[in-house]
Amino acid sequence: MIEFQHVSFGYEKNRQVLRDLSFRIERGEAVGLVGPNGAGKSSVMKLLLGLLEGEGQILVDGLPVRRDTLPEIRRKLGFVLQSSDNQMFMPTVYEDMIFAPLNYKLSREEAEARVDEVLARLGLEELKHRYNHKISGGEKRMAAIATILAMKPEAILMDEPSSALDPYNRRVIINTICTLPQTKLIASHDLDMILDTCERVILLSEGHIIADGPAEKLLQDRALLEANRLELPLSLVGRTPRNAAE
Amino acid sequence: MHMADALLAPAVAATMYVASGTVAGISIHKLKKDDEPQKLPVMAVTAALVFAGQMINYTIPGTGSSGHMCGGMLLSALLGPQAGFLSMIVILAIQCLFFADGGLMALGANVWNMAFYGCFVGYYLIWRPIMNSQWFGEGKSGARIRIVVASLIGCVVTLQLGAFSVVLETSLSGITELPFSSFVALMQPIHLAIGLVEGLITSAVLLFIYESRPELLQDVEPVKGEGSQRSLKTVVAILAIVALVVGGGLSLLASSNPDGLEWALFGNAEEGYAENMGLDEEAYGIESTAAETAGAIQEAISFLPDYAFANNDTAVGTTVSGIVGSAMVAGVAVLICLAGGFFRKKKSEV
Amino acid sequence: MQKAMHELAEMDELAMRSSPIHELHPLAKLITTIIYILITLSYDKYNLSGLVPMLLWPILLFTISGIEVRICFYKLRIVLPLVMAVGLFNPFFDRAIMLRIGPLAVSGGVFSMLTLMIKGLYCLMASFLLMATTPIDSLCAALRQLHVPKILVTLLLLTYRYVGVMTEELAVMTDAYLLRAPGQKGIHISAWGSFLGQLLLRSMDRAQELYAAMLLRGYNQQFHYAEARPFRIRDALYLLGCILFFLLLRTVKVAQLLGGMLVR
Repeated sequence: MIEFQHVSFGYEKNRQVLRDLSFRIERGEAVGLVGPNGAGKSSVMKLLLGLLEGEGQILVDGLPVRRDTLPEIRRKLGFVLQSSDNQMFMPTVYEDMIFAPLNYKLSREEAEARVDEVLARLGLEELKHRYNHKISGGEKRMAAIATILAMKPEAILMDEPSSALDPYNRRVIINTICTLPQTKLIASHDLDMILDTCERVILLSEGHIIADGPAEKLLQDRALLEANRLELPLSLVGRTPRNAAE
Repeated sequence: MHMADALLAPAVAATMYVASGTVAGISIHKLKKDDEPQKLPVMAVTAALVFAGQMINYTIPGTGSSGHMCGGMLLSALLGPQAGFLSMIVILAIQCLFFADGGLMALGANVWNMAFYGCFVGYYLIWRPIMNSQWFGEGKSGARIRIVVASLIGCVVTLQLGAFSVVLETSLSGITELPFSSFVALMQPIHLAIGLVEGLITSAVLLFIYESRPELLQDVEPVKGEGSQRSLKTVVAILAIVALVVGGGLSLLASSNPDGLEWALFGNAEEGYAENMGLDEEAYGIESTAAETAGAIQEAISFLPDYAFANNDTAVGTTVSGIVGSAMVAGVAVLICLAGGFFRKKKSEV
Repeated sequence: MQKAMHELAEMDELAMRSSPIHELHPLAKLITTIIYILITLSYDKYNLSGLVPMLLWPILLFTISGIEVRICFYKLRIVLPLVMAVGLFNPFFDRAIMLRIGPLAVSGGVFSMLTLMIKGLYCLMASFLLMATTPIDSLCAALRQLHVPKILVTLLLLTYRYVGVMTEELAVMTDAYLLRAPGQKGIHISAWGSFLGQLLLRSMDRAQELYAAMLLRGYNQQFHYAEARPFRIRDALYLLGCILFFLLLRTVKVAQLLGGMLVR
């Protein structure tokens, strides 16, 4: 579904953010992208979406990411931004959701039906005609996911989907993500969330892939995580108090 | 500065709509030629920011008061005059629609008074020439001083033009009996002070942008290396004092010699504006009554000049029945309200 | 700043209610409002008695839509000062006596001052009623139908969306500032530039991300507005009825006719 082949990228000539990155994500996989601040997580996402241009080749569904293939690529990928406010630029949830389907030349009836279907699936019917600036942070995040689902993307990219949410809303988001059948790539520092939603984890640091493997195995490797400024997910620390472990 | 609907006659309001609409049309045309889709989000976010920024209080050192900013100059320095103009239109529209700040019909006039001068006059006649010049030396410090000078002059001049237009539009609408000259003498000095403060705020913001991301500013080339060192603070202080002295002198002149000012201004007004506006006689009539009472405030207050109106007697006659009728209308209004309350109660019961 | 947020939220809330007026086509409402304001403004400055019946229309709308007049009067505080400033001079300059009620002489200046204030009030009520019964997206759709350029309407929509976001951010910054600057009423001169400048820089990044979000969802320089509601017979009737009503009030001296019947 998604393939990076020797991708390098840097904002400035001498400072490379990503160095010779190669990995492959199969259709239907759920992959967590973790790493310390500045590791290059968002650059990976932006390169994939064609918002940045780097060296090397990126393939989506066998299609190289190039200027001329961008419309098709972007149609396959849905990107949930970290800031829902930036993502939802229309006054109401409904208009935001219908924005993409209409752009992809669906008729208004089809688009509306799709919006209703997504809202029903996520249980958000009552948000439909609410104003984007009047709904709570949790609702906003759910609505942002809904706007992306209304596009019917084949893969979903998410940037910190659980940030700044209360435990309840965080759980709602995690459950929602788990029910999505699409290919998923989730960048986050919330390793507990990654553990709950992804079967595979790619650990990125200073533009390199440090580790790539099953989430449960990788996220249990305390030494590896701490070497990269991360911590063991709380659910894996178990009942052992932190002090006792040390 | 935001004019309410009541201050304008329909003809003046419509004329200002046409004038502002034309400029907006030209701006849109120009923007379409450049890359508008790229700019749209930037325009929206900056406009929203300026809207919010207008609510901040800036304390003015040495006084107990605080100032605000208006944004025309700031927006055109950041986005260019056309995009700045459209953003200002949207800001004014939101203020008018949601906060009743300026009227719906007066929007055309408000756009003209605040957006047109701020963006186009401010940009083409002040910002660009000054920024492209080599005044105040080369290098960074020269550019800094140019930014301050351009924002100060720009804000003061555009606000003066705007305030003058408010006076002109109100007078042409025949709304006020206040003589044109006294109105001008009242408005201009107030807006001189406002313009100065606004200029200082604008220049402070633009300087900050210049220091951190100069590429965001129009007509500013990022310069490497410092030029001759000159303290910015002293320059600002000197400029402010000069502006105060000059402006204060001008407004003193204006208020002490209102007839001359009025003559000069009204000569222009009648030639230029009246022709374009195709105003009806009514507005002209007012103009001349205003002219008659020009510069004679004390006279007007101490005497009771019994101007005869054409149908004075009938006017008195009709007004009596008018009052009775109005009372009846009020009665009907009360009835409607009662009925409404009644129905709504019923509805809520169901 | 919190007040502004509150006011904005209040208008949204009002516009989301439902009433026969809310359900009318936005275009019909927009046009009637404009005509109402124009007709109100067209009254002569001494024509107080002619203006009074024009009150009936806003009162009818307030009653039918169930919008509280109180909220509207709150907004008067912005409109009145300049109108007052201009109008208050009239009684001093225009002292021709137009009406005597017993010993009380009313001059033309008082008349023109009163008409000015009443006009200010009416126009405010009219535009307030429009916004209190029409959500911004429907209004934008109506503007498009009036062929207001697309860029302008889209810009209005986007700006409106971000006014809330920006105001909130600035409110947070102001609080943060004032918490560390006890006793200050506003932003000190040393922070004039950086205060707004910082936010401005961040906003530029935000705008970029926003544009990316648009592109990623297939933005092709085409904005779709709220569903174009069909213009029904009801809307046409409302529009026509209102215009006829206004014209009637404008041409027939209703107040004087009614009064004439009683006085004679």
